[in-house]
Amino acid sequence: MTSVPKSGAGVIRPGFVWAAPAALFFLLFAIVPLLLVAVLSFTHWDGISEPRFNGLDNWTALVHDPVMIQSVWITLLLTVLGVATQTPVSILLGVWAAGHQRNRAVLSAIYFVPLLLSATAVSLVWRAVLDPNFGVPSQLTWLFGDGNLLGSQSGAIAVLTFVGVWQFTPLHALIYQGGARAIPQVLYQAAAIDGAGTVRQFFHITLPQLRNTVITSTVLMVAGGLTTFDTVLILTQGGPGTDTTVSAFHMYQKAFKSFDFGAGSAIALVLVVIATLISLAVVRLSGYDRMRGTTEGL
Amino acid sequence: MGSRFTAIAAATVLVLGMTAACGSGGSSSDAGSGTIRVMVYGDATNKVEKQIVETFNKTSKVKVVLDTVPGADYQQKLQTVINTPQAPDVFFNWGGGSIQPFVKADLLLPLDDFIAQDPGLKSNFLPSVFNSAVVDGKPYGVPMRGTQPVLLFHNKKVLADAGLTPPKTWDELVAAAKALKAKGVTPIALGGADRWPTLMWFEYLYDRIAGPGLFQRAVGGDQSAWAGEDSRRALSTLRELVDTGAFGSNFDSVKFTDGGSPALVAKGKAAFELMGSWYYSTQQDGNPEFAKSGLGYTGFPTVNGGKGDPADVVGNTNNFYSVVKKTKHPEAAAAFLKLMYSEEFVKAQLAVGNLPTTVNTGDFLDTSASPAYSKYQYELVKAAPSFQLSWDQAYPPSASTPLQTAVQQFFDGKLDADGFIKAMQALPGS
Repeated sequence: MTSVPKSGAGVIRPGFVWAAPAALFFLLFAIVPLLLVAVLSFTHWDGISEPRFNGLDNWTALVHDPVMIQSVWITLLLTVLGVATQTPVSILLGVWAAGHQRNRAVLSAIYFVPLLLSATAVSLVWRAVLDPNFGVPSQLTWLFGDGNLLGSQSGAIAVLTFVGVWQFTPLHALIYQGGARAIPQVLYQAAAIDGAGTVRQFFHITLPQLRNTVITSTVLMVAGGLTTFDTVLILTQGGPGTDTTVSAFHMYQKAFKSFDFGAGSAIALVLVVIATLISLAVVRLSGYDRMRGTTEGL
Repeated sequence: MGSRFTAIAAATVLVLGMTAACGSGGSSSDAGSGTIRVMVYGDATNKVEKQIVETFNKTSKVKVVLDTVPGADYQQKLQTVINTPQAPDVFFNWGGGSIQPFVKADLLLPLDDFIAQDPGLKSNFLPSVFNSAVVDGKPYGVPMRGTQPVLLFHNKKVLADAGLTPPKTWDELVAAAKALKAKGVTPIALGGADRWPTLMWFEYLYDRIAGPGLFQRAVGGDQSAWAGEDSRRALSTLRELVDTGAFGSNFDSVKFTDGGSPALVAKGKAAFELMGSWYYSTQQDGNPEFAKSGLGYTGFPTVNGGKGDPADVVGNTNNFYSVVKKTKHPEAAAAFLKLMYSEEFVKAQLAVGNLPTTVNTGDFLDTSASPAYSKYQYELVKAAPSFQLSWDQAYPPSASTPLQTAVQQFFDGKLDADGFIKAMQALPGS
C-alpha cells in the first residue's frame, strides 16, 4: 500500500499499447467465438454438412421449449441455493482458519483437500456414497426413507447443492481466510479495550471489513452456479426426467447429444446474456464498482 | 537462455513431426498400394479387431491402419471427423439411426456393388441382423462384432425360495412380482438413472402387444402409430406393473452402469433384471460366484392376446462396419469386409465372449467361453422372426435425449399415456 500512484498531474497514464496484448487475447478468445456462436444460432448445423441459415427458427423453438424455460429457473435456484449455503459456511471457516494457531493450519490443510479433486471424481464418489441400496441411505432409513435421493426433484436438487457446498466451500474459505488476515489487528485491539467479545468483534469488525471479499466470492459463486455442468452430468444427467436439467446441460444435450449446434448456440447466448446481467447487477448493487476501501480513517 | 532455446526447438521439431505423420495418412493415392483407415469403438474387443487387421495386412498391398477411439467419445468424434479430409475409410457404428444422418448427407457407400461381386457379404449373415444396417432399402453395413439380445435375467435362489419358476407369460410375471414384494424382495431391479434400461421394457411390451410393425411404422414417420389402441394397451400394461411396485420405489436413483442394479440381483435383494446379453459378463466381473451358479435367464414373457410373436427379440443386433464414399480404395475395403465372415473372425469373437452373427457361427459355439449361454442366445436370435434394434439406436441420435426423458417420466408417473404418446410423436424422425 505504499507505491500506488495517485491519479493527477504528472503521472504517466498507461496508453493503448499497454492494453493491447490483453485486448487482443480477449478479442481472439472471447469476442470472436461469441460472435461465431451468435451467427451459428441462426443456422441449422449438425456438424456434418454445411451450416444452413434458418432465420429465427432456433429462437422461436427456444421460446416455446418448456425445458429451456424450466432450466433457467433451475439454474437460478441452484445458484441462489449455492450462494446461500456456501457463503455462511465459508465465511466462518475462513475467519476461523485465519487464526495463526498450528492446529488450525493443519486442519485447514486437510479441509482444503476437496479443492484438489476433480469435479468428476467428487461426483462419482458422492454418487456411490448416496446409492440407495448400498450407500449411506440404506443404513439411515429413518432419515432417507427409501433413499430415492436422485430420483426425485427435491432430493436431486438437495444433493447437487450439498455436493456444491462440499466441493466449493474450501475455495471460498481460502478467499475469506486471505480477506480476514488482511484486516488490521489494531481494530480488534481497540475493540477489545472497549470490551467487545468475539461475537461482537465478528459482526462489527470482521464482517464489515470483509465486504469486498464477500462480493468477490459471491460473483465467483454466481458465475460457477450459472455454469454448473459437470456435477449435473455425472450425478443426475439432468434427471429425473428434466428436473435438474440446468441451462448449461441443456445446451450440451442439444449440441453434443442431438447434434443440433444451432439450437445449442442459441441457449449459449441466452446464458451469456443472463450471466452478464446478473454480474452487472451484483457489481452495481454491492457498490463494488466504486471500489470503496475498507481502511478509511486508519 | 540456452535451455529455453533448446526447449523451443524441441517443441517445434515435435510439432512438425506430428504434422508430417498426420499428413502421410491420407496423401497416398496410387492404386494398388496405400492405406485405409478403420475407426473403431475402443474397448476390450479391440483385441479381435487388431488380430483381423494383422491377418489382412499380411496379404494385402493396401494396408489397414486401425484407429481405436475411447468409447464414451466415439459418436462425437465420428460426427466431427466424418465429413473432413481426416475421415476414416471404414468405421464402426450401431446401424439404423446411428448412420442415417450420414446416409442423408450422402457420405456413405451403399454396399450393393460389393455384394454383387461377393454375395457372401450378405448371405453369410443372419438376415434379421444384416437388415438393421439397411437404410432406405440399401445396405450400408456389415456386422463386425457380437449380437446383444435383451434377456430377462433372474436370481435362481430368490425365485426358488419364493417357490416360483421363471415366468413364461406376463400374468405369471405380475403374480411373481406380487409374491416377491410380499416377501420383502424388490421384484425387478432397474437402473432407472441410466434411462436406457427402462426403455427396454417399452421395446419388449410394444413388440409383444402390437407386433414389430407398430414401431417400424412410427420410426418410418407414421406418427399415428403411437396413438393407436395397441400402443395404449402396452402403456397401460406397463403402468400396472410399475404401480404394483414391481420395480420398487427408488429405481431412478439406481444405475446399471455403476454396478448398482446388477448387485441387487447378485445379492438376492432383487429377483429379475431385464438387460442386454452383456449382463452375463457384467455379473462375471462383479460377482463371479453368482454368475457361475445363481444366474438364470429366459426370453421375455408372452402377453396374452398380443399380436407379437413370442420368439421376437429386441436389443443391439450387432455393430457394423460402414464404408465412406470418398474412400480411395473401395476394393481393399471390400476385401477387408470379407474377413468379417471368416472362420478366424468367428473364433476370435467367441473367444472374447462375443456372439458373432454369421450363419456359420453355430459350428463353433463349443469354442465359446460359455457354450451353453452362447448356444441359447444364438438359437434365440436365429429363430427370431423379428430382431428390433433398440429404439434409441433406431432413431437418429437427435431423438435419443427426448426419447429417454419421456421413458423415465412415464415410469415416474410425470407423464401419462397421452403425454407419452405426444412426446413420441414429437421425436425428430427420419
